[in-house]
Amino acid sequence: MTENPPALRAPESILRRRVRKFRRLKRGYYSFLIVVGAYLISFFLPFLANNIPLAVRYNGSFYFPLVHYRSAGEFGQRVFGDPDYRALKQQLASAGQGNWVLMPPMPYGPNESLLDLPGTPPNPPSAEHPFGTDDRGRDVLVRLAYGFNISMTFALLVTLVGNALGIAVGASLGYFGGRIDIFGQRGIEIWSSLPFLYVVIIISSIIVPVYFPGRYQLLQPSLWLLVVILAAFDWMGITYYIRGEFYREKAKDYVGAAIATGVSEAGIMFRHILPNALTPVVSFAPFEIVANISALVALDFLGFGLPAPTPSWGELIGQGMENLTKWWLVLYPLGALFLTLLLIVFIGEAVREAFDPKEFSRLR
Amino acid sequence: MNATASQGRPEGRPLLQIRGLRTYFYTESGVAKAVDGVDLDIAQGEVLGLVGESGSGKSVTALSILRLIPDPPGRIVAGEILYRGRDLLKLSRDDIREIRGNEISMVFQEPMTSLNPVFTIGMQVTEVIQAHEQVSRQEAYRRAVEILSEVGIPDPADRMKQYPHHFSGGQRQRVMIAIALVLNPSLLIADEPTTALDVTIQAQILDLMLEMKARRAGASILLITHNLAVVAETCDRVAVMYGGKIQEVASIDALFETPFHPYTVGLLGSIPSVETKARRLTVIPGSVPDILHLPVGCKFVTRCPYAFEPCPDIEPPLIEDAPGHWVRCHLYPHGGTPAVPLPEK
Repeated sequence: MTENPPALRAPESILRRRVRKFRRLKRGYYSFLIVVGAYLISFFLPFLANNIPLAVRYNGSFYFPLVHYRSAGEFGQRVFGDPDYRALKQQLASAGQGNWVLMPPMPYGPNESLLDLPGTPPNPPSAEHPFGTDDRGRDVLVRLAYGFNISMTFALLVTLVGNALGIAVGASLGYFGGRIDIFGQRGIEIWSSLPFLYVVIIISSIIVPVYFPGRYQLLQPSLWLLVVILAAFDWMGITYYIRGEFYREKAKDYVGAAIATGVSEAGIMFRHILPNALTPVVSFAPFEIVANISALVALDFLGFGLPAPTPSWGELIGQGMENLTKWWLVLYPLGALFLTLLLIVFIGEAVREAFDPKEFSRLR
Repeated sequence: MNATASQGRPEGRPLLQIRGLRTYFYTESGVAKAVDGVDLDIAQGEVLGLVGESGSGKSVTALSILRLIPDPPGRIVAGEILYRGRDLLKLSRDDIREIRGNEISMVFQEPMTSLNPVFTIGMQVTEVIQAHEQVSRQEAYRRAVEILSEVGIPDPADRMKQYPHHFSGGQRQRVMIAIALVLNPSLLIADEPTTALDVTIQAQILDLMLEMKARRAGASILLITHNLAVVAETCDRVAVMYGGKIQEVASIDALFETPFHPYTVGLLGSIPSVETKARRLTVIPGSVPDILHLPVGCKFVTRCPYAFEPCPDIEPPLIEDAPGHWVRCHLYPHGGTPAVPLPEK
């Protein structure tokens, strides 16, 4: 005659249980930590790899050129424009008047051509430049590092914008159904049959975004233009899944029960159904990020991506193809791309497994 | 067409009056007339049972009251549902939403799937309160704990933080009742609330519903079930549905003592009782008619052992054949005496 109450456990949501399961899947979890860690560190790259020093002490006062631009003349260098801080460091150190320059650990900038190296660029790897330099004498390691940040940022933005659009469209199709669904789906089919690459080529021949030197990458209009274009062609896939999820979820009893208690339509759609419909979004997200990184690499490789001299992986891979004998221009960019994609695929695998509903269907 | 009269309910203004309700489903194979002219009164403070086989239209009637019919394919094509004099079918979406959960609430058949799996029990109880009343979170929380303890959930404050999958079926149905009753509605529609539960728990849930009703003066319950034993235990009055129409309405005693309609007779004959010891249970021959092709006349004509000349062609009206005892059958035009004698009970 009892209702045999289940043992009182710490309340745990399904999401938290999935996160716990994800953390148990070591390969995916460690890949996640590595990728997220590297991405977070990459935001501090201007302090880690740059030809502009963190701090300068010159004639009794402190200068922070990363915050305020300083011209060469302020440090007594007889050139116009940017000071050569590496030369200044040597000069001040040998002069020994208490003046000093604190350079980042990797004292080379991503767009800085190092033309004073022996031989002609591209220069092979050396102790100073472990990954060598590219055909304009720019340090490959530094460019790869900056490129990682750009690739990840770009892929995350496209995935975010594309999914937001796809969820909104898919949710309305699935929730309202009927005519909206039929015409909406046909519209999506027409839109997806547009040849993506042609549209990108046409748009980039009309709008040529300017590269603002020294401006932070997130504020470059070229990046946002590409994000919008790619997201505009990226959102259709997820709508089918979200639409299906909404169709299935809206017929479930808890939705009827929520309607019967007087919850508003928006509340039903976004508070009740959406959290139950997000599984495909979460499981697909890592693979979408992979696809978007590759898409940017492909566009850069073809020359329709971010404008020069943005440090991008596609541009480096393109250099590798033009200089097949310079192995460091082939091996390192492709290796970096391969490693990144591999780690994200590991994450995706683990997410998919952690979100597998089969384990939970036993509970019903 | 005299059905607007009292239908034998207790004295007082009816809380809910259903008049000529027709709810059709437009499917690819035709129009399914799930509810085809239902008249029903629910009085203040009564427990009305609505019984019938699967497909008789009893659930659709209940869903129509709160306008929960999925459209498409379903649509309420005619009728009115007067709740305290207001026609629920003419209210705006916002107005009907104010009624739902607040004045009329519903408990569904499947407690295992009626709660949203991603929210805690507490969130789901407080959501109803906050959807209808301007109260602080603390106040909503306090009332949620209170109602959970009232429906018999042990340690309600702790269980508020738990998710539906931590609750057993019976407990989830208690939570559903708590959600339905937290705002003290005047009508609770219970759509087969015990069908999905263990037999041992069914009685507990029914007792709980009656107990909760007793604490709320004037609250009514519309109990939808196919289980006549449940009806006998809990209801004041019973309406029997068949083929999308009310076939018989009577007080619980009258219906079990002297059932009028041959269908009701058949239903009562098909449940075992202590008195009818070794005899075989009687079975209603045939099966429920195809809802797309209901008979023109009496809906029960295909299975009725007493069917005679007018039955296949003319639909009998719902008449009050004894005080408070309504029946829709050609056998009863003569004040309580059927034209063809019914078998001994």
